[in-house]
Amino acid sequence: MASLLQPDRVIYLVRGEKRIRAPLSQLYFCRYCSELRSLECVSHEVDSHYCPSCLENMPSAEAKVKKNRCANCFDCPCCMHTLSTRATNIPAPLPDDPTKTTMKKAYYLACGFCRWTSRDVGMADKSVASGGWQEPENPHAQRISKLIEYYQQLAHREKQERDRKKLARRRQCMPLAFSEKYGLGTRLQRQRPGAPISALAGLSLKEGEDKKEITIEPAQALDEVEPLPEDCYTRPVSLPEVTTLRQRLLQPDFQPAGASQLHPRHKHLLMKRSLRCRKCEHNLSKPEFNPTSIKFKIQLVAVSYIPEVRIMSIPNLRHMKVSLSPASVFGTAPAALGVNVASELEDSSHHLCPFCSIVAFRKSNKIGFFIKVIPQKEEDADVTVTFRMRHDFRNLAAPIRASEEGGDAPPEPIWLSHHVELRLGPLAA
Amino acid sequence: MNDLAKIAAGAVVCVESEVRGDVTIGARTVVHPKARIIAEAGPIIIGDGNLIEEQALIINSYPENIMPDSEGVEPKTMTIGTNNVFEVGCVSQALKIGDNNVIESKADVGRNVILTSGCIIGACCQVNTCEVVPENTVVYGSNCIRRVQSEKPQPQTLQLDFLMKILPNYHHLKKTVKASGTPLRN
Repeated sequence: MASLLQPDRVIYLVRGEKRIRAPLSQLYFCRYCSELRSLECVSHEVDSHYCPSCLENMPSAEAKVKKNRCANCFDCPCCMHTLSTRATNIPAPLPDDPTKTTMKKAYYLACGFCRWTSRDVGMADKSVASGGWQEPENPHAQRISKLIEYYQQLAHREKQERDRKKLARRRQCMPLAFSEKYGLGTRLQRQRPGAPISALAGLSLKEGEDKKEITIEPAQALDEVEPLPEDCYTRPVSLPEVTTLRQRLLQPDFQPAGASQLHPRHKHLLMKRSLRCRKCEHNLSKPEFNPTSIKFKIQLVAVSYIPEVRIMSIPNLRHMKVSLSPASVFGTAPAALGVNVASELEDSSHHLCPFCSIVAFRKSNKIGFFIKVIPQKEEDADVTVTFRMRHDFRNLAAPIRASEEGGDAPPEPIWLSHHVELRLGPLAA
Repeated sequence: MNDLAKIAAGAVVCVESEVRGDVTIGARTVVHPKARIIAEAGPIIIGDGNLIEEQALIINSYPENIMPDSEGVEPKTMTIGTNNVFEVGCVSQALKIGDNNVIESKADVGRNVILTSGCIIGACCQVNTCEVVPENTVVYGSNCIRRVQSEKPQPQTLQLDFLMKILPNYHHLKKTVKASGTPLRN
């Protein structure tokens, strides 16, 4: 019976820019606008970066320099699991006396899942437990950094020209606000959804950079290409030595074709994000700063504000026959709330009779009622029941307006209505 | 008491384990409690230095479509080499297992598989093909993908020494029986 509690059985409709259907557990509720919000109607902002294996927090500036990679942790190039450092004892000659050998500790990286080790690619064992491992350098690193410098300078020059034009047009207005176009990291500069992302928006020159001209040479096409080896078509392929496409593309610098050249890479950082309602700009979800903590500073999830409808059991559904399906509504707020359920005739082909809004049973914060279902179509995949649920909502967050009597009036309940869909499953044959 | 089991001296076989049929266990092998070694359709010969953990099942059973009492069924011997590790909850029916293999937790090895040496069958992987698994192969992942590792897994000597010291403190052991001599009395 746990299949009745699966999240996709009861779906709520969100009326935002798009009409989105999602289960209540994946929705947020803005209590300032008094509306449901889904992940697509909110704006996502990065809060902090952290490494998923060592749980180390990293400030955004440092993350940008390190290209969003952790400094201590490595990923297995073969199965993308986290690598662990293992130690062995190897005999090594003492520096003073070459004839005697002593046991020294040597460290190597190993994957617990696919048993890959750093010795597979020929990386020598290191004598320090951490910090000794280096990623191989990109052979094109110099050319890339030169190109980036050139384009940064170009962006700077374009920005100056644009500022000059704007200043020339409006001399009276504030000049400084416009010249900081690429420097704004605050909400004013936040990317609007759907707006074209400026290609040079990430590049910005610091103020004190010297203005020397950087020239780049255009890339040159070569006429002669290395010929393929002669046994290219006849040599049998040894599959363990060939990298899979996924392994290859995770290292875009080298894209090695042979498994013996797959070097481990530093682990990618994950980020904590905060969500903000687009209409009223209030925060809907703000996590804690500490990577080890799973709590939230602000958590306006829909489950704590909107009553949840659950299917209690599904009878045998037959074509054009009436069946009664019990369902229950779970309230949230401590205060009693009123719930009205009414049928909604929409484009769905399955509809129910104007059914009983008689409450079958009541228990603490739970109300049970029956829904009469008459499946209309014979060959349809799933029987879906839609109805509209209205409940009153006491907005404790809204500022209490000073009433004329001078006393504190309790916040007035407002009636919110939601469109709910229940998926009851296929017809019983 | 199982009269057919021959447990070499130096092996540690806990009383709570189930050893049925004609089973030979080599020296320095540790069989945890609740492990099951069942020789139904033929004898099982286990070499030295193996580690058979709890709830592991090593079974030499009849192939599915043959009834136990029908004629023409020859008993086949299951041979297991040295320094293998059968982790918790694994099921092994392979007739021939070499040395230094590791069958990880809840793995399932079928009857027609022959493990050479250095193979690692990952956790929850089911290998029921009809093949000889080449040396140093690692089978891992939910899709049982394979790769070849460069060196065989290390023998678990430290773990075996530790267990051979500690297990007799907490469990009774099955009596060792020499393969050629008479069984010792209780």
